[in-house]
Amino acid sequence: MNCYEQNVPPVREARLKVGDTFGGGVQELLTCCREGCLLQKNRSFWQAGSCMMNGAMMMAATVEKSAVVVHSPGGCAAQMHFLSFQTSKGMSRRGKPNVPVPWLSTNLTEADVIGGGEQKLRDTIRRADEAFRPEIIFVVNTCAPAIIGDDVEEVVRQARLEVSADVVSLHCPGFKSRVFASAYDMFYHGLLRGLALSPKAWTDYRPIDDNDPAAALKWQQYEYQKAHTVNVWNATSIGSDDEKEIERLLSALGLAVRFYAEYSSRDELRQVSEAALNVSMCDVHDDYILKFLEEKFGTPYVIAGMPVGFRHTREWLLAVARPLGLEKEANALADCEEKLAREAIAPFADIVRGKRVLMYGGAVRVGVEATVMAELGLEVLGIRTYHYDEGADEVFEDVKRVTPKSVVSISTQLFEMTHQVKTLKPDLVIAHNGTQGYMAKLGVVSVQLFDSDKAFFGYAGLYQILRRIAFEFKNTSYRDRLSRHIRLPYRQTYFEGDTFRYIKN
Amino acid sequence: MGECLERPRAACSLGGALVTLANLPDVVPIIHTSGGCGGNLSAAIAFGAGYLGDGYCNGRASPTTAVSETEVVFGGTDRLTEQIRATLELMDGKLYVVATGCMTEMIGDDVGGVVGEFRDGGAPILAVSTPSFKGDSYHGYDIVLDGIFNKYLPRAERKNPKLVNLFGLVPGYDPFFRGDLAEVKRLLAGLGLTANTFFTPDQTFANITSAPGAALNIVLSRVWGVETARNFEEKHGTPFWVTDLPIGPEATDAFLKEAAERFGLDAGESIESGNREFYGYFARGADLFCDGDLKRYAVTVTNSTYALPLSRYLSAELGWVVTDSFVTDKLTDAQQEALADGAFPIQFLTGTQEIARALKNNHPDGRGQRYFDDISPLYIAGSTLEKRTAAARGANYLGVSFPLYDRIVTDRGYAGYRGGLHLFEDLIGQIMSVKS
Repeated sequence: MNCYEQNVPPVREARLKVGDTFGGGVQELLTCCREGCLLQKNRSFWQAGSCMMNGAMMMAATVEKSAVVVHSPGGCAAQMHFLSFQTSKGMSRRGKPNVPVPWLSTNLTEADVIGGGEQKLRDTIRRADEAFRPEIIFVVNTCAPAIIGDDVEEVVRQARLEVSADVVSLHCPGFKSRVFASAYDMFYHGLLRGLALSPKAWTDYRPIDDNDPAAALKWQQYEYQKAHTVNVWNATSIGSDDEKEIERLLSALGLAVRFYAEYSSRDELRQVSEAALNVSMCDVHDDYILKFLEEKFGTPYVIAGMPVGFRHTREWLLAVARPLGLEKEANALADCEEKLAREAIAPFADIVRGKRVLMYGGAVRVGVEATVMAELGLEVLGIRTYHYDEGADEVFEDVKRVTPKSVVSISTQLFEMTHQVKTLKPDLVIAHNGTQGYMAKLGVVSVQLFDSDKAFFGYAGLYQILRRIAFEFKNTSYRDRLSRHIRLPYRQTYFEGDTFRYIKN
Repeated sequence: MGECLERPRAACSLGGALVTLANLPDVVPIIHTSGGCGGNLSAAIAFGAGYLGDGYCNGRASPTTAVSETEVVFGGTDRLTEQIRATLELMDGKLYVVATGCMTEMIGDDVGGVVGEFRDGGAPILAVSTPSFKGDSYHGYDIVLDGIFNKYLPRAERKNPKLVNLFGLVPGYDPFFRGDLAEVKRLLAGLGLTANTFFTPDQTFANITSAPGAALNIVLSRVWGVETARNFEEKHGTPFWVTDLPIGPEATDAFLKEAAERFGLDAGESIESGNREFYGYFARGADLFCDGDLKRYAVTVTNSTYALPLSRYLSAELGWVVTDSFVTDKLTDAQQEALADGAFPIQFLTGTQEIARALKNNHPDGRGQRYFDDISPLYIAGSTLEKRTAAARGANYLGVSFPLYDRIVTDRGYAGYRGGLHLFEDLIGQIMSVKS
């Protein structure tokens, strides 16, 4: 059976060559991934991270007019407070109503863990429907009900008959996958199974009557519009400023742009099929749904890296333009934009050139940004990625060409990060959100690898990235002083040995 | 306890255990559960409780067994053994506490057995059972304290007649726990008593080990910490006193008087100097407070620890009229009764929408009628979740309870004389902040 027809989708480990543990050179990583040794690696010491449930919840929280039901004991949804404040801001930045997503926990107790939580889930879905009248109810399944074997899919199937909202199930018990990126597939699987992704006649459009004398013209108009519309698939790490920059560039090529799936509504999602092309902005984020959409609607897709920095932005634009016959226009656009931006970034480029940098974050973004930094004349000491899967191979082939000597680490682990900061002694760290406080406590200058409130993509984004780095170097007193008063929880002996000493093969 | 919860204001017992451990000096947690629990639960509180942030070893620094499907099927004790061994080698702690999550409890790992072996080998380590389905964060606080003080620490050879331990404020879920503990400690010092707060930055591991020698445990909550104090008395013979967190001079006078009595001391001088200081500042505010007509109806939305002390302050010190005190933590019937002393209109609700609706039902608005006695002007002191509720009613709002996302809290506290001034500043400051 095709995985799209299954109730519960496969995790990344079952679908791809994937890993969360590695330390070594770029070539070694590429070989290790290809030969499958990546998944065999493990650690004898682990620190806490996040899980795919949190990722799936994070994505669900962005969908307009939805409610989230987390089927779990009381703690799993703890981050929903933060996520709902965050996404209500994201909504208003996109001109949508600024309303925090309502959420409920089934609050499983010991009795439920013994007796099963299905009835409680049923009641909670009903309550979410009655209390909030959402368009979509996302049901997030977690570890405890997965272990006791609650038939969440059956409860959801019945609930669909009873409640006014569409019910979408997200199967994401944390223990089932070690990689957070599985969340993207789980979320998309829920969408493609639970929602309509093509327009409904009379609701969304007026069918063309073939007896209408203008029918041929109307069909032509429809085809023209579709041929000039692209869907661009976003991610939580991609902010509204980045969407604006991408829209600006693609509009310049004469394309209409729709962003999916975050910050869309149920009605907007029904337009997914009405595009000439589906375009990813991150190689390890969207292949699951883009392949489905190609299978289902015949819409071709493009996965071509992340549009950060001159070279990658041009390549990305060309990859979008090529199937639409707009290659010449895209090149001309990139030429023109690069000319303007190159002048603008010149003062910052002088400041950052020669700096020694350590990079940390999601595989694609960190790989792409590392090459951007290397090409601007920074020395990339190390590249740390949260996970790695074969979807990132092309990006890392590029990394190998551009900065072959960088140490690559697949790691969510703060102790390894701390070791690298202390031993590689970078001038600058460009790191994922959630580590910035730790970097300041280590006294190293650091900036965000991404920030959904700021610009990173395209030409405007590159300017802002460099401007922020230069700004950070303007006064480092905060982190200099803070770090003198911090005691780290690690024993000194660790920093005298190998960074990767807790990795087992 | 059993029903589903809208936007619950506590995580699971593991979540409470982790934030408790994170704020104790030199304590390193070892989380025996799936890899995401530690990060998710810690981040929720590091950002959600007035930006409490991470302590010595928590959040992404926390050691965890990160059990996956293999362990769920075949058992996680080997992984736990490996993780403890590596943690002892890598992480520098004076005490290591293994805390369990739901999946390792469900698969029945013999955590006590594994930890016992390390303990026999001389490692300072203990295990606490904190599965998510066995209670919320508040229970996690008691489970950890009970484990450390009543199961791990030996009885003291001698009591220190001037030493007290402070319990009852749950880190993060009481966003002002540090400022409040520091002020209570300062007040007790005025009587010549030494207090272990355990959770303020001045504390070291020696404060934890000195605890069994305390002459009295003061529990600053009618609900939380009581169980710990009861078991403490059984194990160490230290009596306990359950009292409300004193906020403002009226409550603080009474607190000092009773504390002094319990030690055969005189609180007269402390009370006098405390009031002189308080009114020396507070009286200056009278011009604004009265000319500005800042009398308010008040609604509080807090946990059980803060509900009565906050309502009492608003009523006694400001002369405001408290119409509703919503208590948001999930309590047993007996715990609910402990709060019901009739002084304030307590209601036990936790959902944001539920509370907004209850407020609407209890106090319908005038809908434009010319003659209508509604509860305006209204002030809501609650969590960030109440900010929109307040805005919808045109009420003033101050964030004082979890989840607290709209302000950062460092050493701010509302307890005591000084806290009473801070609360005045913050409440009135919100009203005045519209000036430009």
